[in-house]
Amino acid sequence: MKILVCMKQVPQKDAPLKLNESGTWIREDVSYEVNEPDAYALEEALRQKEKHGGEVVVITAGPARAQQVLREALAKGADRAIHLEDPAFVTFDAANIARAFAGAIKEEKFDLVFTGLQSDDFGFAQTGVILSELLGWPHATIIMQIEKADGGIKVKRELEAGYFQYVEMPLPAVLTIQSGINKLRYATLIGIKQAKNKPLRKVALADVQPSLVANQLNIQRLYVPQKAKKTEMLEGPPADVARKLTEKLKNEVRVL
Amino acid sequence: MILVIVEQREGKLNRVSFETLTGAQAIARETGWTLEAAVVGSGVGEIAKEVAGKKLAKVYDIESPQLAAYTPDAFVAALKPFIADQKPTLVLMPHTYQVRDFAPKLATALGRALVSDCTGYKKEGDKLLFVRQMFQGKFAADVAFAGEPPYFATFQTGAFRGDQVEAGVAPAAVETVQADVPASALRNKPGEVFKEAKQAVDLTQAEIIVSVGRGIKEEKNIALARQLAEALGGEIAASRPICDAGWLPMDRQIGSSGQTVAPKLYVALGISGAIQHIVGMKGSRTIVAVNKDSEAPIFEVADIGIVGNLFEVIPPLVEEIKKAKAT
Amino acid sequence: MLVFRKPLTGIDRPQMEADVVIVGGGPAGLACALRLSQLIDEHNSKHPDQQLSKENIYVLEKAREIGQHCLSGALLDPRSMRELLPGFEKEAPIEAEVTKEAVYFLTKGGKFKLPITPPPLRDHGNYVISLNRFAKWLGEKVEAAGITVFSGFAGSELLLEGECVTGVRTDDKGVDKSNQPKGNFEPGYDLKAKVVILAEGTRGSLTKQLVARFGLDRDRNPMTYGVGVKELWELPPGRIAPGEVIYTMGWPLTTHEYGGAWIYGGKDNVISLGFVTGLDYPDPRLDPQRVLQEFKLHPMVRALLEGGKMIRYGAKSLPYGGWWAIPPVAGDGWLILGDSAGFLNSQRLKGIHLAIKSGMLAAETGFEALAQNDFSAARLAGYQRRVESSWIKDELWRVRNFHQGFEHGMWAGMFHAGLQQITGGRGLHARYPATAGHLRLKKLAQLPAAGGAEAHLINDYKGDGKLTFDKLTDLYHSGTKHEEDQPAHLVIHDTNICNTRCVTEFGNPCQHFCPASVYEMVEAADVQGGKQIHLNPSNCVHCKTCDIMDPYEIITWVPPEGGGGPNYDGM
Repeated sequence: MKILVCMKQVPQKDAPLKLNESGTWIREDVSYEVNEPDAYALEEALRQKEKHGGEVVVITAGPARAQQVLREALAKGADRAIHLEDPAFVTFDAANIARAFAGAIKEEKFDLVFTGLQSDDFGFAQTGVILSELLGWPHATIIMQIEKADGGIKVKRELEAGYFQYVEMPLPAVLTIQSGINKLRYATLIGIKQAKNKPLRKVALADVQPSLVANQLNIQRLYVPQKAKKTEMLEGPPADVARKLTEKLKNEVRVL
Repeated sequence: MILVIVEQREGKLNRVSFETLTGAQAIARETGWTLEAAVVGSGVGEIAKEVAGKKLAKVYDIESPQLAAYTPDAFVAALKPFIADQKPTLVLMPHTYQVRDFAPKLATALGRALVSDCTGYKKEGDKLLFVRQMFQGKFAADVAFAGEPPYFATFQTGAFRGDQVEAGVAPAAVETVQADVPASALRNKPGEVFKEAKQAVDLTQAEIIVSVGRGIKEEKNIALARQLAEALGGEIAASRPICDAGWLPMDRQIGSSGQTVAPKLYVALGISGAIQHIVGMKGSRTIVAVNKDSEAPIFEVADIGIVGNLFEVIPPLVEEIKKAKAT
Repeated sequence: MLVFRKPLTGIDRPQMEADVVIVGGGPAGLACALRLSQLIDEHNSKHPDQQLSKENIYVLEKAREIGQHCLSGALLDPRSMRELLPGFEKEAPIEAEVTKEAVYFLTKGGKFKLPITPPPLRDHGNYVISLNRFAKWLGEKVEAAGITVFSGFAGSELLLEGECVTGVRTDDKGVDKSNQPKGNFEPGYDLKAKVVILAEGTRGSLTKQLVARFGLDRDRNPMTYGVGVKELWELPPGRIAPGEVIYTMGWPLTTHEYGGAWIYGGKDNVISLGFVTGLDYPDPRLDPQRVLQEFKLHPMVRALLEGGKMIRYGAKSLPYGGWWAIPPVAGDGWLILGDSAGFLNSQRLKGIHLAIKSGMLAAETGFEALAQNDFSAARLAGYQRRVESSWIKDELWRVRNFHQGFEHGMWAGMFHAGLQQITGGRGLHARYPATAGHLRLKKLAQLPAAGGAEAHLINDYKGDGKLTFDKLTDLYHSGTKHEEDQPAHLVIHDTNICNTRCVTEFGNPCQHFCPASVYEMVEAADVQGGKQIHLNPSNCVHCKTCDIMDPYEIITWVPPEGGGGPNYDGM
């Protein structure tokens, strides 16, 4: 199986984020890490390769610093990497990123494309699905399990409230992978060494420009959400407090 | 025209759709645009009728035997020509797992963009902006569309109040549309939907969370918090020391070294409110805190605070809640 | 049940051969790698038929990324950087060039500025840097030079064969709280090396193993330490100029404690502020993080920080012992650099330039060994000789008795320091003795119950959340994260002592001296004394204070799973 894993580099979860001057994005001078859901997508791809053989290729779109994500993936066992390198990629909407990916992999023949559930910065949860439409492939989201089946694969899809569903699909297909389904493997010393010699293809913005369109979504402004919080203290003996709180839960919070 | 695509699962209307309708009605009032709705399925006429009882101009019942079971291919095949034909300015849907699965495909098929998981909207002049959380709630973004309509947006559960949807003066017209969905278009073969005891709990999906901290004192007292969680229909969670002590499993931990949640209701029992915990729950819609220390930092983020002994407050609270639910 | 981290036994470990393994990606280790690379490049260009390879030279760094565990004030004396990379100022990340210094003596409400800045504290020509950013930049150069940096890997054990160090064992990854392998278990590698260069920074754990194994502290003064607790603040513009340096002594410490504060103006209105407390104070209830908070309440500091925002927190110990406490730095299969050796000038409060120089000197010896393929003890001893005939020795020799002079209080220390200034460092004796800091802790029974002169430093406080902070809030700003499900890496050799002896004798000072709230005594009904030790290992900021200061010497700090620890962005 030839699997492409789309990965993104995002600011570290606890990094102190600051708004940039125009208030439309964050300042770039923070620490970055791999988008955790993508790490799970990579893990699943590597497991599929271990089970069925094949190749795992990782791709990312971002500035030079994003290469780190690819190197780590190669160290964990991916075979090849593709880096769409340009700082401008940070400003593209999900659709354009998907178009850039589609443009970069035109010449290749993948069986499966994996993405993480969503990114920890944007949280759009769309890139994978958009990519499937651009490629003209079937897709399924929030996948827990993948098995080979006649005519393709059988996947286990997670639904709300503890429900699941099996779906049979032909290949090639795009899957967005649920987080936490496997324990993430560690890169080993030998893996890191070997990663240095694995192919890392750089793709310039100009090379995928023909596939792109103008952004259809733009962030007008980014801001710290203001919460005008007034704490209402409930007083009195426990029985009173219980009653007052229940009333509020029923009539104001509306959870009863 | 605003088009709301309500959600049905297995022939039942997903009531979160009313939240989307509430939001759509608000936008309609501000823009003066007409509001219409559509339901997609096979034999879902009753659902269309129910939706038609709300204040809107028209409801479409988009029918095809291929739409009986949900598949993204069928839903896109049915909706794409419909939307191309109807030319709404805005297409709105609730941000459910099902919508996440097909809506981006639908928008892309029409060459359009979708802004997902919005918590609201703003009208600035004649520009419509959609508000959504970014960086796991640390920031909010106002997102604008560029280019031609239709524009697609999905609303987060709880962004609007389903019970505030306006009823119509008279039932709106219902038009049945026979969608042309060839069986060959369906590439996915869905199996039965089944329930399974999940291995790991996903607190990020819980609407109500009852969380315990050191104030619970002993492991056996967690039973009290469980009673409250059960009465409310919520999940139990905890701050770090409780999970460290092994009183609750690690996947129940809320905070910087655990999960980040933003439920409709977060009840913090005996939690002091150290910043490591706060960052994991401060996005909750409503926070109720019970702590015997009036200076506990948790009260700074709580909407409702009770300074008291949780062992005295919880039992009567559980009773009152059970009573209120029964009526 | 507390289970402590220990390398797994009876398993097959992957092996890797190396020429040189540098443990630690701080300024010393990186300077060593860079210099080695320069020497190899030079050699290779002159001997095209006798190429030396960089393929088998590795740097091990326990942080996820280089620089994340680097913390210092910091002021850089550019002397050694100019030797390593002439003109480095043009591309290195430098906050500011020092423009002016002031030294204050503080009392509770007042301040007295020293009319003349003592010569050792004159910083003209030095740079205010963020060591984290500086190390990141050096790390990029090391990687660009073709030397592999394994970040996220800790050196957990030395490999020995007889009296020779033959390599380093890296950390076991994916072991759970009971030290059992998890699904993604990866055993640590046995990295066999012709020479292991220890550049672990202050109180290195492998260095400690080495010193104990070979008795390297025989005939040496015990190493003594201080702990620096630091905060990074964003201030309204104009409060303090970039390059402005302030040192303080006195308040909130009393004459019983050694220490003082620094305030350095950086760029973008960010200042570095911190307090160093000598780890030789008498009252075990003293809390160095608390000392920093108390310091900020002084009117001069409060006025400076008014309206500002604390953006980062961290802490690290520093070796004060000086020349007489430095062990032999070369041996059979090993070299020791930087803070691990104790190359720090406690009088000038600077060590980064010495760390870098030691790295360069080690690289020269390492290069010779590579070129001759001779890694014998005799060859490696060349490093010892280089250090002893370099300006490292010159500089440290002049201050060899400095810190020890303060063992009998501040005034005595000043007197000795003054004397040493005019006797080339000698003072009253050729070699002043030293006492290990933890041995100077007094028992609670010997101290006034309410703290006496230190009362203001040991009562309960919560901080106001704007100017001063409780420990957990401060800790949150250190970006500290560890894999939660792993054994405790603070190895306590006898936990019974905690609740049977320490609780009454010293009051469990680990709860106070740890700047990260790792240690807690919690109520336990079924235990003698009613309280038992509870650890929060994932809070650990890797400062090593516990390893240094615990009065019974029963705590050994070992590296947790690589990749975990603080994230000292901008520090």
